[in-house]
Amino acid sequence: MSAQRLGMVVDTKRCVGCHTCAVTCKIENNIGDGVFWNRTMTVGGDSIDSASGTYPNLSKHYITLACQHCENPACTRVCPVGATYKREEDGVVLQDYDKCIGCRMCIAACPYTGVRNFNWEEPQHSIGYDVGDADAPAHQKHTVEKCMMCAHRLARGEEPACILGCLAKARYFGDFNDPQSEVSKLISSRTYKQLQVEDGTNPSVYFLV
Amino acid sequence: MTDKNNVEKNTGESQAKPYRSKKQLIAIIVCAFVAACGIGLWMFQLAGGMVNTNMRNLDAWGLYIIMFMLFVGLSAGGLIVSSVPKLFGIKGFGGISKLAIWTSICCTILAVAFVVVDLGGPLRVWHLFAYANLTSPLMWDIIVLSLYLIISIIYLWATLRSERGQGTAVALRAISAIALIAAVAVHTVTAWIFGLQIAHEFWYTALLGPWFVSSALLSGLALVLIVAIALRKAGYIKLESANLIKMTRLLGVFCAVDLYFFACDLLTSGFPGGSGGEVVAMLTTGPLAMFFWAEIIFGICTIIVAFTPALRKPGFITCAAIFSVLAIFAKRVQILVGGFQEANISYPTVSSGPELSAAGKTLADVGGALIYTPSPLEIGLVVGVLGLGTFLLLLGLRMLPLKPVEEQ
Repeated sequence: MSAQRLGMVVDTKRCVGCHTCAVTCKIENNIGDGVFWNRTMTVGGDSIDSASGTYPNLSKHYITLACQHCENPACTRVCPVGATYKREEDGVVLQDYDKCIGCRMCIAACPYTGVRNFNWEEPQHSIGYDVGDADAPAHQKHTVEKCMMCAHRLARGEEPACILGCLAKARYFGDFNDPQSEVSKLISSRTYKQLQVEDGTNPSVYFLV
Repeated sequence: MTDKNNVEKNTGESQAKPYRSKKQLIAIIVCAFVAACGIGLWMFQLAGGMVNTNMRNLDAWGLYIIMFMLFVGLSAGGLIVSSVPKLFGIKGFGGISKLAIWTSICCTILAVAFVVVDLGGPLRVWHLFAYANLTSPLMWDIIVLSLYLIISIIYLWATLRSERGQGTAVALRAISAIALIAAVAVHTVTAWIFGLQIAHEFWYTALLGPWFVSSALLSGLALVLIVAIALRKAGYIKLESANLIKMTRLLGVFCAVDLYFFACDLLTSGFPGGSGGEVVAMLTTGPLAMFFWAEIIFGICTIIVAFTPALRKPGFITCAAIFSVLAIFAKRVQILVGGFQEANISYPTVSSGPELSAAGKTLADVGGALIYTPSPLEIGLVVGVLGLGTFLLLLGLRMLPLKPVEEQ
């Protein structure tokens, strides 16, 4: 067991589906056009923000999907060069762009659809200049990238940007190995779900339902 | 046996002469040109970006990996056809042993080439040695495939040596055994790249390893048959019809085993219903139905030809062999595209579903449901790599003494 198991709790009862966490992430990490490391998904009807059911019995909520920083990641095991790896001290799953050979095995192995992005071309920025944190690693063409839990911010003792960006205060960050942490208390007091539990990855992102 | 005595008397002098003709030289030059065009397209793909392929995050692999799977399988036949008779001391399939090994070597080289063109950073290939992660099935495959290629080359060299009366029969038999084990290993490990991925229900089955071996035997033997019949027609080798029929019957057996595995797998997926039932529906009536039924029909045709004595004529046998390769190609498409077709998490979002796959979106607009079809660049590059393969095959016929000694 790693010393820490950093992760997130997302309260789907508070989430209003505003996409601000996704955009904050995009700005913070200077993510290229058309790429999202974190996406707000509508659990309801067939299109964004639509509900399922018939009025007045409608149902809709949101989940935000990014790398789940699994305790038992499928991706780190399959990477032939160890470019994606779990950091032992805090359990964060990282990606080393300089090592990645672009074989996309990790994308094939990850059960969480679309959280890993391969830069199919030179990353473009529609506003014409770089944004975000200077410490965030620069993107590289033909390598795989994903949410790294803002490792550059963690190094400075700060929380990931999406936590700060959440307007509804639906996102929490902390160490699941510390029973006194806010996230541990939340999942011990509230009903939660994890995604794709049947794949045995034990994701470190919990959704309060 | 007279041949063998003859060989021993002329130790050191090759009995089998390389085969040269003007037509062959032209074909070699044409193939070299096609291969060169392929390299040009590859450079374009690297410079312009893989955005020019139809692969996207939701279907991260495409035609290149389909062809990789196919060619790893095709390489099996040659090695099996030549090594099994030597190993078990049974009567072989005529003088096509050396030719079969050379075909096998060419296919292995192509399999490696298809992986290389699929890589985003081919200049970083050295990372595989410097930072090897030994838990990765892809790493296992790279190791086994490299060994397989080296063993095949040693095996060809040993076969040529033994023909000249050098080396012992025991040594050749030992190399045959190693080559056979390597062949089984390489297909199983290639299957594990997919079969160990719990993320894709369609892939995650213990049957995939043995199934890849049976598919490899089927397509590989079919390729040897195609090459042998073509070269017999060209007058390069003499192959007795009895040997041809023997191989065709074996082809039928391999095909039956492959379809049997398919039936087992379909039943295991579909029986509990639920998401496994969705996988079966995707294959039989869904977006991949065309490839599913193509495989079944081609397979049944192969079996009919193989087990109907009246149909075992070179023309029909060639058709059955081509059908076998097409059936396995269809299977490879099912495995690859089918694995990505059903997303685990497919709620509507800013970019999801077909929008994460360029071809998927294009096809959806015209009413199609497949998540992936190759782009012109991918098809062009595949043609280029196939050109390289034919170039190697013909160059081998020209430069190496592959002509059966028995015919001298």
